[in-house]
Amino acid sequence: MRPRTAPVALAVVLLAALAACDSKAPEPSAASAPSTTQAAGEHAGHQGGATAPAASPAKPKELAAALEQYFAVHTLLAVRQARSVLTANGAYREAADHELEEYTEELSELVGGAYGDAQGTRFKEVWERTTADASSYAQALAAGDDAAKAKARQALLADAGAYGTWLAGASDGRVGAGDGAAQLKTHVQQLMDHDDAFAAKDYDRAYRVEREAYEHMFAAGTELARAGVAPKAAASLDTPVEKLRTAFAMLLGEHMQLIIDAQRATFAGAPEFNAAAAQVNANTDALTKGMGAIVGPKKAEEFQAAWAEHVEGLLDYSTAVAGHDDAERAVAREKMRGYGARLALYLSDIVRNELPLEPITKALGEHDQHLVDQVDAYAAKRFDEAQESEVEGYGQMLGVANTLVGALQRTVKPQLPVGGSQTGGGSTATWRR
Amino acid sequence: MTPIGGRRRLGGGLAGLVALVLVAGCSAASAERGDPPRPAAAATTASGTAAARSFHSTRGYRATPVPVRIEIPRIKVASPLDRLGRAADRTVEVPVRWERAGWYDEGTRPGDPGSAVILGHVDSREDGPAVFFRLRELRRGDEIVVTRADGSKARFAVDRTEQFPKSRFPTDAVYYPTLTPALRLVTCGGSFDATAGHYRSNVIVFATLRA
Repeated sequence: MRPRTAPVALAVVLLAALAACDSKAPEPSAASAPSTTQAAGEHAGHQGGATAPAASPAKPKELAAALEQYFAVHTLLAVRQARSVLTANGAYREAADHELEEYTEELSELVGGAYGDAQGTRFKEVWERTTADASSYAQALAAGDDAAKAKARQALLADAGAYGTWLAGASDGRVGAGDGAAQLKTHVQQLMDHDDAFAAKDYDRAYRVEREAYEHMFAAGTELARAGVAPKAAASLDTPVEKLRTAFAMLLGEHMQLIIDAQRATFAGAPEFNAAAAQVNANTDALTKGMGAIVGPKKAEEFQAAWAEHVEGLLDYSTAVAGHDDAERAVAREKMRGYGARLALYLSDIVRNELPLEPITKALGEHDQHLVDQVDAYAAKRFDEAQESEVEGYGQMLGVANTLVGALQRTVKPQLPVGGSQTGGGSTATWRR
Repeated sequence: MTPIGGRRRLGGGLAGLVALVLVAGCSAASAERGDPPRPAAAATTASGTAAARSFHSTRGYRATPVPVRIEIPRIKVASPLDRLGRAADRTVEVPVRWERAGWYDEGTRPGDPGSAVILGHVDSREDGPAVFFRLRELRRGDEIVVTRADGSKARFAVDRTEQFPKSRFPTDAVYYPTLTPALRLVTCGGSFDATAGHYRSNVIVFATLRA
């Protein structure tokens, strides 16, 4: 088995980025989200080495950030494993199997850090079983074995119940067994829906459900973190700043993953590409509206234009790779640099230089590079490497999200209105009560 | 972590090999990995690249139309919306007419991600009860309908109604950006400071988009 570096790095990068996001001063290190790799190294040093297990974050929001990502990525890995089963792509399946195994291990360590080792072990049992049953469902579907499919469905629903029971116990009743079960039931149902749609070549539905499943489990990560701490500590997850961080991390991470879907779908044919690309556009719309909430409609329009170039540049590159056109590939790569520079300029402008231009440009360059590496490796059927680029790229993107939100916070906060409103002067509301 | 540069160097030769395999419609490399043959691979890739070449990222973002009217059936509010800016002291302006509510137009448009903020007076010395006189009666689940300039409607459901001293106005909870489409209704409440001629508190309704 490959060394378990990527998930550990993801957790460490997240924690480092959050630490940077928390900083009040606009220090250069916070600005260098690109330098998530560097920051991760520094953080690992504090933890006693880069080989430290997935962290046991002390603060609820750090735990939430880690669990959100682990749950979300695990979901995508499960979806992609199912696709490898349904398309009989053995080599890709092998890579997905390995990654799922590693993620389950790391996720369980993370849960154990929050809930205690014994609960981490129990969680791992439930999670491994759920992962295996989801795989069995896809295999039954691929084999056209209705009886096995029904059996796998029943097993997955039972897994949801087991998760609920586990969560109720682990959280000392802060979450009811029924609520926990309902959360995982939605998850396993989404996995099955995806598989059914993909097997029926209803790619529009398959990719839409995948996105919904990602978002559902991202939120489930927040809830799992919340359940692990006392209500007073959990309140830190409900602050506007923390909610904004979570929302942007979810959307920017989703962007990264949907681009990967579209890149890979380029090799699978037009129907699948179009379905994947539609979700990329849906994510862009959501991001644009999100930016609009912060910077207003005019700047949101500018964001969308810059982001569109970024997205098209990435997909132009993967098209050239899939078409084996080296000249087109070189041109696409060069254009990506120009698009990245323009997008960096835009982002630096909206945060009013809270983030210097150079680190943003570098961060976007790293983001592009991860996706370039990913599609290069995928095209060459080096699926392990493609997975590694995906995981590293996802962690880096979350670092960008956290740093960007930190800068936005410093930009937005001083501009908010202050104080209450003088919306009454007759005293009638007082004596009426 | 695998060094990125090393990975890229490794990739060149294999990529060339895969290209040949795909163009020939032959899956020798795949067979070595135990993959079943996929004879349509070249055609599939060609079809995928053709689709990818015609891809256009979404553009043409259109701002949501501004809100022009608010209705709150439970407390029989139906009011046109004036536009409110920021006063010199950085507070939000208040409506100039007691019977009309106002929308803070430097903030979110109702239905967009973020908290749209609508203010209305609770009463006036001259005319008594004003447009948001009964705001404090709103409870979880009550409906608020905002109509936009194009006639479209954003429907919100009340999450909670709370009262805060003006000295501890929850600025972040009301104005801080969020990606959840939300609505905040603000009026006055609490005890009345006769000397200043103002209430000491604000009543705030927190609502989220339902449709």
